[in-house]
Amino acid sequence: MRPPIKPIPPRQSQYGIDPALVKTRVCELPGMTSVLLKELFPDLPEVIYPGEGGVAAVRKATEEALQKIDMSKIKPEHSVNILASHHGFTLLGGEPYAEMLKTIKDVIETRTGCKDIRLRAGVGLRFRETEEYIKRYGLDQYFNGKAIGVAPIDQGIPIETEIGTLYGIRKIYDADWIVHAHNSDVREVHFHRQVDRAVKPFGMSYARIETRSTYHQNLGPRAANFTARAIFDSPFVQKKFAFASFLTVAPNGIIGVDADSDLYALNDRVTQIGCLYYGKMMTLFGEIDECIAALDFPCPVVYVFSAGVIYANFAGANTDLYDLDLPLPAYTWYTEAFYGKAGRPLLADIPPVNPAIKMCVHNYAWTGYPSAFFSEHIPTVVVGQEQADLFNRDPQNLTYMKHAVVAETTEAAMEFAYKVTGTRKVIIFDGAMGGINVSEPMAELLLKKAPAVSERVENELLPKWLRQRGVDR
Amino acid sequence: MKVVNLLAAVDAEKCRGCKTCEKVCPVLAIKVENRKAVVDAERCRGCAACEQRCPDYAITMVKREQPIVVKVDVDAVDYGQIEELCRRARLNPEQIICYCTATRAEEVAAAILQGARSPEEVSFLTGARTGCKVECIQPILRLLEAAGIKPEPPKDGWQWYGRTVTVWEIPEEVKRKYATRGFYFDEDIKLLDRVVSAPVQGRREPDASSH
Ligand code: SF4
Ligand code: SF4
Repeated sequence: MRPPIKPIPPRQSQYGIDPALVKTRVCELPGMTSVLLKELFPDLPEVIYPGEGGVAAVRKATEEALQKIDMSKIKPEHSVNILASHHGFTLLGGEPYAEMLKTIKDVIETRTGCKDIRLRAGVGLRFRETEEYIKRYGLDQYFNGKAIGVAPIDQGIPIETEIGTLYGIRKIYDADWIVHAHNSDVREVHFHRQVDRAVKPFGMSYARIETRSTYHQNLGPRAANFTARAIFDSPFVQKKFAFASFLTVAPNGIIGVDADSDLYALNDRVTQIGCLYYGKMMTLFGEIDECIAALDFPCPVVYVFSAGVIYANFAGANTDLYDLDLPLPAYTWYTEAFYGKAGRPLLADIPPVNPAIKMCVHNYAWTGYPSAFFSEHIPTVVVGQEQADLFNRDPQNLTYMKHAVVAETTEAAMEFAYKVTGTRKVIIFDGAMGGINVSEPMAELLLKKAPAVSERVENELLPKWLRQRGVDR
Repeated sequence: MKVVNLLAAVDAEKCRGCKTCEKVCPVLAIKVENRKAVVDAERCRGCAACEQRCPDYAITMVKREQPIVVKVDVDAVDYGQIEELCRRARLNPEQIICYCTATRAEEVAAAILQGARSPEEVSFLTGARTGCKVECIQPILRLLEAAGIKPEPPKDGWQWYGRTVTVWEIPEEVKRKYATRGFYFDEDIKLLDRVVSAPVQGRREPDASSH
């Protein structure tokens, strides 16, 4: 069996504990191994990162992708906002995304002579998060002091759309041109269901609370995706939109950079990658019959990831997240909202949280996202009193620890989990690149199930998924 | 219901009086007076919006010696009225509308029936929208509207701007135009209608003081 892959290191942040307190990583414990994603699915594409070229490969791919973009509208006296989102910075350590952002700036400057190029980086529910990344990756200096984090409670601007007024963040739109810099990582596929993934940040990272609340409360779990499209299609946004540049990502790493001034063309390409490769990963995860899930990644509980898939998606892997005929996954905020006071879903056909997850060992994960649903529905052991205390101070997680217990060490937490659950199958969400850290019995299970999953996705599921989204193969 | 265990504390040395905190506070608990921010400790709901947005990092969240339990008693209002108001807003009374504090529609409805006239008052009384501060403004505005109340956003504030569309109001032509692109408008209306009319489960929350 292969040795474990080095996980992403803990990171200094106001949303997590001091990295020095993370003494043991789950993958370092006895019995852990790794599986390369290419061993599971040999048809996964070749990646440019991680790779020998390092982030230089990302720079080169960005420059090449931008060659075909017509930038003649951007004049030297204009201003340009490069729009970024926090998730890009947690992808494979964050450097590749930071490098793409820097390259976009350089190319625009060289090609157009424009000097007023700013970075506007949106966040989720951790309002200082992109400020932290801006410092960490030296983006402030790179953008000559013109790099800021923007939050959904910052000053807004009304945007007239086909479905009425929605609201954006004013500083996102305070330039002559906007460039949409993102990535195709599926991330919250339980929310967006791979519908308009490339457009989603217009309804999230670039949007005010009113718009985000529309998405999560007003439109329903599938129709919600229209929120972002409504904003993007508005005359106001259209007249500012210059082009989009995306890191294209498969579960095994970054496969390239795709740029287009037609966002919907890019969107269709992203949909294919998302449904085919991530669809296989998700379907394989759905085959796991029982396991201990270990969280060990510098991100909030829901977003810790493994094999390109986040824990929140795994919590819904008992359902087919890509099949739009299924109204509700086992986890979204809509699902969470629909549990009544007795702790049961309000409708009998609302799916339960993935019953394969027998226990969750929270070795290292951040606050800053309402996560009590997870500890309420999945028995959870948190390693270290410091993390428990951090959660008790987080206004978004006041009851997370009400449902969880604390263990002193990682070893003790895992021993407890083995004893209580009776399973030795462990899946570790620690951001390992190119592969996935698991226990030996889990490695065997995944390797055994992958070939049939691959076939089923290609022959049966993929055609349906693409048809539902109006995307031809 | 929310247990408020934090309080915003301003470092007057660092504060430049820019009023950002005043504009983002969901319960209007912080105000700039004589060019310095001042927190009303009784009002503050410990949401950290001010701490997270102050451009000068002048605010820290400190632990309260005595946590406050913020809660509107649903039992103090006729449940028939609560149900009626929630369903008019197209919400199930028991559905959660604030994920961070697990506030259900019925509690916000009870607050409104007891006299809350704005999102700020609802947040002050129930604690809703003092967790992530982002996701729950629409159901609060929908419930106020269903009660015939038209609140005005705080003057010059960024607390909120307006109610937005619900799935029941999406124009038919929009539905038709995007019918093949994976937006399941009519199917989601069916789902939500079933949720809205689902019976309540009725177990009373254990009292906060029993924890
Ligand atoms: S946001 Fe900060 S600097 Fe501005 S008034 Fe408030 S405390 Fe002072
Ligand atoms: S309620 Fe929130 S924004 Fe207002 S003073 Fe308290 S912590 Fe600051």
